[in-house]
Amino acid sequence: MRDERSFRVALVADHYVNPAPGGLDGLAVLAAAGWGVMQLPDDAYPAEVARLLLAEIAEQVEEFSRHGYVFVLVGERAGLAEALARVGVAVPPRVEPASPGELSEFLAAQPDPPALAAAENPAG
Amino acid sequence: MGVAFVAHCLLNQNSKVREGAHCAGVYSPIVDVLRAKGWRVEQMPCPELAFAGLNRFWAVREQYDTAAFRRHCRRLAVAVAGAIAARAEQGEEVVLVGVEGSPSMGVTVTSSDPDRGGRPSWPEGTPEHTGGEGIFVEELHAELDRRGITFRVAGETHALATHDVATERARLESVLGDGDA
Repeated sequence: MRDERSFRVALVADHYVNPAPGGLDGLAVLAAAGWGVMQLPDDAYPAEVARLLLAEIAEQVEEFSRHGYVFVLVGERAGLAEALARVGVAVPPRVEPASPGELSEFLAAQPDPPALAAAENPAG
Repeated sequence: MGVAFVAHCLLNQNSKVREGAHCAGVYSPIVDVLRAKGWRVEQMPCPELAFAGLNRFWAVREQYDTAAFRRHCRRLAVAVAGAIAARAEQGEEVVLVGVEGSPSMGVTVTSSDPDRGGRPSWPEGTPEHTGGEGIFVEELHAELDRRGITFRVAGETHALATHDVATERARLESVLGDGDA
C-alpha cells in the first residue's frame, strides 16, 4: 500500500485554520501544498486548557522531529515556545503571512525532510 | 455556531501508522464539508502517536487496551474536554469526527481481534471491524458525560471495506444537519 505522507508539518495558529471573513485561509494553502497541519489552541481558550493542549502538541512534535520530519510555524501562540522547550525542541522557522502567495513561497523555500530521503532510499 | 473536534490525522496524515496516509497532509473531503457548512474545525491530539510512535504497528483495540494507554488517553481526554467545555459553555454545538475502524479513534466502528499478539502477521483478510468506540473516544466520551456535555459523532471511513467518499460526505452532512452551524 502506498503511503502518501509528505513528512512536512506546519504548526498553525487557529485564525489561519478558522479564518474570520476576509482573513487568510492558511489551511487551504497548506492543503494544496501538501503540508500536514497541527492546529494551535484558540487564543480564547482559558490558560489552563491551552497549557494542556500545548503540552500534548509538543510531545507529538518531539516524536515527529526525532524521525526527521520538517516543521514550520504559521502565526504564533503564547506558550508554544515554552512547551517545545520542555521537550527539547526549538521553535521552527516562522511566518506571519499576509497573503496566500507569501505563505506558498515560504513553504516552497523549506528544505526537504530528512525522513523523505530515508523513505525513498530505505537501504541508504 | 458549531464546532467539529476532528481526529488529528484528518488535518495531518503524517500522524498515520505506516502505509496509512491517504494523502500528503490535510484530508480535504471531511474538512471541506465542515467548512462549507460553517463549522469551526478543532483538531484533537493523536492518541497513538506520542504513545506508540511513528514506527508503531497496525494494531487492534485489544492491543491498545492497557492500563498505561488508558491513562494516556484519559490525560488527553481531560485536555480535549476542557476545550469542548469552553465551546459548550458558549452554547455551541459539538460534533466529534473520528476515524472508523481505528482502535483508538473509532466512533461507531473500531477494530477487534482478541487473539492478535506476538509476531505481527496474520491471515490476509482477517475480519477485525466491529461496532463500538476506540479507546480514546471511549475515555473522552466518559469525560464529557462526567461534565454533562452532549455531542454527536461522525467518522472518516477509509479503513472500512464499504468506504465511499460520497457516502462518507453524505453521512457527515447528515450529522451536521441541514442548516448552517
